[in-house]
Amino acid sequence: MNGWAGKILRVNLTERKFENIPTSDYVPTYIGGRGVASRIYWEEVPPDAGAFDPDNRLIFATGPLQGTMAPTSGRFMVVGKAAQTAPVEAYCRSGCGGHWAPELKWAGFDAVVVYGQASKPVYIWIQDGKTEIRDASKLWGLDPFTTQEMLWKVHGKEARVMTIGKAGETKSRLGIIITDSGDASGQGGYGGVMGSKNLKAIVVRGTGSVRVARPKELMEVARHIRSLFSRPSKPGSPLEPNEPGFTYNIWGGQGRGQLTGAPGELWNLCSDPNSGYERLPDACYACPIGCRTRVRGPDITSGVAQCTQSNMYLESIMKDPEKGYSKLTWEAGRMADYYGINAYDIHGINPWLTACYEEGVLSNKDTGLPLDKIGEREFISELLRKIAYREGFGDLLAEGCQRAATKLGGKPEKLMWVLYPRAGKFGGYREHWLYYGGFPDGYAISPLALMWVLDNRDAMVSHNFMSQLWGAATSLGYPPNFAEAEELIPVIKPTMKYAYGSEKAAEFFTPDGKGLKWDWAPRVAKRFFERTILKDSYIVCDVAFPFLYNPNSGDHVGDSSLESKLFTAVTGVEMSEGESYEAGDMLCTLERAIQAREGRTSDDDVLRDICFTNKDAAGRQYHRDDLERAKAEYYKLSGWDQTGTPTLNRLKELKLSDVAEALQRKGIITPDQST
Amino acid sequence: MANEKDRSLDRRDSQEQVVRKTPCISRRQFLKAGVAGFAFLAGSSGVRDMLELVAFAEGEQLALAKGVVLVDKKLCSGCRTCEAVCSTYNSSGRSSSALARVILEKDYLKGDYEANTCFQCVEPLCLQACPVEAIKIDKKSGTNARIVDEEECIGAKDCIGACGSVFTPPRPRFDVERGVAIKCHLCFGDPQCVKFCPYGALEFKWSDDGVRTGYPIIKEG
Ligand code: SF4
Ligand code: SF4
Ligand code: SF4
Repeated sequence: MNGWAGKILRVNLTERKFENIPTSDYVPTYIGGRGVASRIYWEEVPPDAGAFDPDNRLIFATGPLQGTMAPTSGRFMVVGKAAQTAPVEAYCRSGCGGHWAPELKWAGFDAVVVYGQASKPVYIWIQDGKTEIRDASKLWGLDPFTTQEMLWKVHGKEARVMTIGKAGETKSRLGIIITDSGDASGQGGYGGVMGSKNLKAIVVRGTGSVRVARPKELMEVARHIRSLFSRPSKPGSPLEPNEPGFTYNIWGGQGRGQLTGAPGELWNLCSDPNSGYERLPDACYACPIGCRTRVRGPDITSGVAQCTQSNMYLESIMKDPEKGYSKLTWEAGRMADYYGINAYDIHGINPWLTACYEEGVLSNKDTGLPLDKIGEREFISELLRKIAYREGFGDLLAEGCQRAATKLGGKPEKLMWVLYPRAGKFGGYREHWLYYGGFPDGYAISPLALMWVLDNRDAMVSHNFMSQLWGAATSLGYPPNFAEAEELIPVIKPTMKYAYGSEKAAEFFTPDGKGLKWDWAPRVAKRFFERTILKDSYIVCDVAFPFLYNPNSGDHVGDSSLESKLFTAVTGVEMSEGESYEAGDMLCTLERAIQAREGRTSDDDVLRDICFTNKDAAGRQYHRDDLERAKAEYYKLSGWDQTGTPTLNRLKELKLSDVAEALQRKGIITPDQST
Repeated sequence: MANEKDRSLDRRDSQEQVVRKTPCISRRQFLKAGVAGFAFLAGSSGVRDMLELVAFAEGEQLALAKGVVLVDKKLCSGCRTCEAVCSTYNSSGRSSSALARVILEKDYLKGDYEANTCFQCVEPLCLQACPVEAIKIDKKSGTNARIVDEEECIGAKDCIGACGSVFTPPRPRFDVERGVAIKCHLCFGDPQCVKFCPYGALEFKWSDDGVRTGYPIIKEG
């Protein structure tokens, strides 16, 4: 098979048994990655299984592009019932970059489905089609870096390792699964799920290959993609393009390496050639962009970190603005990786604790944490250690910010709402661009709110719609989040027309500037979700795809056909961009069916009250009835009923009859709903 | 880190300060012959005519390679696009790190990355070691690269061992599926790794007079 390795590995940890199933049972229909994993989830995860139940599946899925030279194909997806989703554990997904995914493909597998529970700590060793469950008692308790060093001693340094740290072992809902120095599957709490299965690591080594159907065509598309996003670096100045005037194209105009850190003490040190500190370009497998950097220095923990970890401790910058981004800011992120803690939820916990402390509802005494020292080293190291070991107040925080705050109730709970905007049963994910420029003083933009209510985690983790706003701001000469929303509109009219079919899609505000327009939001959101699920299924990186904003051209129009071209070149399966959206639409409905089975209805597609009372930077606001109308329209476009449940007919049209029947048996859909 | 030697850059310097002594290859005779077996994108027929193997009588010099791929380590991101394109282009679309004729060595935790390219040695031990003289000089394309004639290769792997005795990792690799050794042939003058490296870390150094590099001028730990 071109593109796919051909086999999916199923690992039953309880019985210590392996099974290979043909990938062709799932592809090309479900494409790969998130698509294939969602289908496996549908078939295998009992709706009433808890995230930490042995019956839950931990699915590591690559797509057809992994292991080939397709740009940004170093990624894979983790899918399973998420421990982080709150208050009800539910279907979710989390992506991870680096170099683990191609290694799995070269070892002969497209995906690994782990279920059951080992009786004692184990790791899985996969080498060129051979699989083994090995004892990990000596690794249990070790941080991810020492764990990898130990495993490299046994299996060679070419082996790639996905592993958990202390937080995963203690079944924290903030547990991550991490590889190399800082690539991780963060959101979802899948590290905790892995810990609950007594699984410390999955080690892969492959010397096989992935067959590309049309190598020449793939090389051409790859070359074209590179020309859109990247230029060779300037000798002696590796983060700058050697071509004057070229703008690197991360989310519409951010530069090479720009997702690691910010100006301040550390960057200053790194730019001094005699300091012993360095910032060097770093990339996932086959990536021409290099969004992050490798940072090295004599008294810091070297390695790679993305925005999530590297900017985790913004409080340290607020505390010492003169230093700006400091060695401490950097180290804090590295500490989170050391314990295997989801830095993105620390982006919630820190401001929440700050607010609770300032409002006088939580004290040092209540928490056993030095809350008066937020921004200092002492606070962050205590916080992370206590979470990882579930010590004292850390035990509560290990449940995630939303659960912890809800348990405390009262004022602390209210202070959490601002940070965790999706209400209903399936929240638990920290605010992330619900407003352009951030909450609460950014700008309300209708598609953002609609995307936020509909997603199964933080919506703007797929930045493609957002990249147009950030790109336009950058093209206008502002930092990405600091333009006035009105200014962006003329710039993005051509790009929105290209991406969604009409310039009107860019008209976010009523002509008087007082209100929000919602008429295009459903169509924009629909295409957004289709493209997002496809990107996660082929799999390519969010930093580049879908490519909707080109900072280097006059009209800034991108090219959304690149992913389907890569897919066809690699697999030889003809699929036009238009056809790809049909597949995307089907996958979105399949995911929604899974969620419907887990109890999700339109009542869960809601935002906290505060999102409807908050006035934005221009005095506009989201209105609940507008959002409800947009939702209803979105459901209609998707062929779902007014409760947000896929209809019988639609599921049948999408060749998901078995899904339709199962939902019918459960009484979730009835034949009369399907008109 | 500061006092750590940067081998890749050293390699550049050594270009300039090479000993002008041309070593001899003894006990070997090269016969002019056609060659096939370079699987460029699903077929070898197109490549057959690109190669010409030149004879050297006893004691005669081995023609210097005219090109070599150099690495600027400071620009390398560790993306392994070079490996990916090398295998895709040269192994009929079989994409793999194991089939790449350029080898990325990465210490992921220290953040130390190194692209290891073939030196196209002045005195190629790989060539000397081959029991059936399957490693030859690519005269046809004009690069004089040291190349494996895959039709003659018997899979002895002696080239790998010989190169490995002075260079780590050894630059030739073994294509298990086809049972032959593979090594960098400079893509017959159009190195794809150089073309595709998105960070500009690779450079194709060309000299009509030949490049004096690799063994015995450079030896690695
Ligand atoms: S000895 Fe090694 S480095 Fe030298 S030409 Fe042969 S393969 Fe290349
Ligand atoms: S020059 Fe060609 S054969 Fe040699 S390493 Fe580069 S891509 Fe591979
Ligand atoms: S393609 Fe270039 S930047 Fe990437 S690993 Fe190879 S030499 Fe380094």
